[in-house]
Amino acid sequence: MSLNLISKDFHSDPVGREHVITSYLNRKLSDRDSDEFESHYFACDECYEEVRATELLIYGLGQIVVERPTANNVAIVRFARRSELTGTSLDTGALVETLRSQNETRVLIDLSNVSHIDSTGLAMLIKCYCHAVKNRGALKLLNPSAQVKRVLNLTKIDSLMPTSDDEVSAIRSFDLE
Amino acid sequence: MELSGAELQALRRKLRFKVCHRIGFACPDVDDIVQESLARFLRAAQAGKMQNVETAGAFLNGIAQNVILEYRRRWNRDGVISDTLPEPVDKRSGHSEVFELHDAIIAGLHQLSTRDREILQAFYFDENSKDEILARMNLTDEAFRVILCRAKERFRRIYNGPLKQRAVASHN
Repeated sequence: MSLNLISKDFHSDPVGREHVITSYLNRKLSDRDSDEFESHYFACDECYEEVRATELLIYGLGQIVVERPTANNVAIVRFARRSELTGTSLDTGALVETLRSQNETRVLIDLSNVSHIDSTGLAMLIKCYCHAVKNRGALKLLNPSAQVKRVLNLTKIDSLMPTSDDEVSAIRSFDLE
Repeated sequence: MELSGAELQALRRKLRFKVCHRIGFACPDVDDIVQESLARFLRAAQAGKMQNVETAGAFLNGIAQNVILEYRRRWNRDGVISDTLPEPVDKRSGHSEVFELHDAIIAGLHQLSTRDREILQAFYFDENSKDEILARMNLTDEAFRVILCRAKERFRRIYNGPLKQRAVASHN
């Protein structure tokens, strides 16, 4: 990647600059380009502030693993980015923590961002289900990928936790019970 | 060529960040490297080796690069297995400065809409290209730019708040 930092475009193109900054922070720039960029921000306060602000932004984005919007008294729990529900994934624990810390009894877990699930992930889903049932609530699944759907079907978990591909009808189905 | 105290402190902040980025935020020798780089820089400036104040940043960067290389060579020569060079990029864990701002950062993110967060997630965290995001999220180039700039403005304010003030205060 050639930075051409001296060109005026670098400052007038915020998207291009962000791309360079992100590559720098993620150590994806070559040594030469990193050196050139460092020389630039040593002399440019604006770019240095941008680097530090992007650093905070990336850190923050890494912290939000699970989002929990509510619609019609149903808590929709979804992963903020592509995730795996596996034994080695930190996302699995984040899901359980989120469900345990909330009081809602009607929970819809959106699996659209879950690319892979293993026995640990399944055990976590069962744990979440037991938690909901114990609190006289209901737990349903939304938008599992083909791979996840197959696993849920093979293990017959889909007969325990109703699965839907449509968010609106899934939310409505809680009212019908 | 003379640098004011404020100019020197600004360079020092940048230098410290660069050194941390290059050798790891957890490295115990960061401050030594920063100090050595600054000392060489000031000696060179006093000896008149630097003619132009505008090139002071690049000049200091070059000196710091040499000091870091010497430090790494020393590590290799002494045969110590380095567990701090360089630390792996873990986007979830920040260094202590960033960690102290955890609450402000999370509050800042929650002020953004879910869609804005998804777009930023794709750009910064998943490192998707702009064109991919525009196509996937059905966005115009202008809208993407606005979302990015708005989010950056929010985080620039967070950085310019306690983090920057404390860095300035600690060197005064």
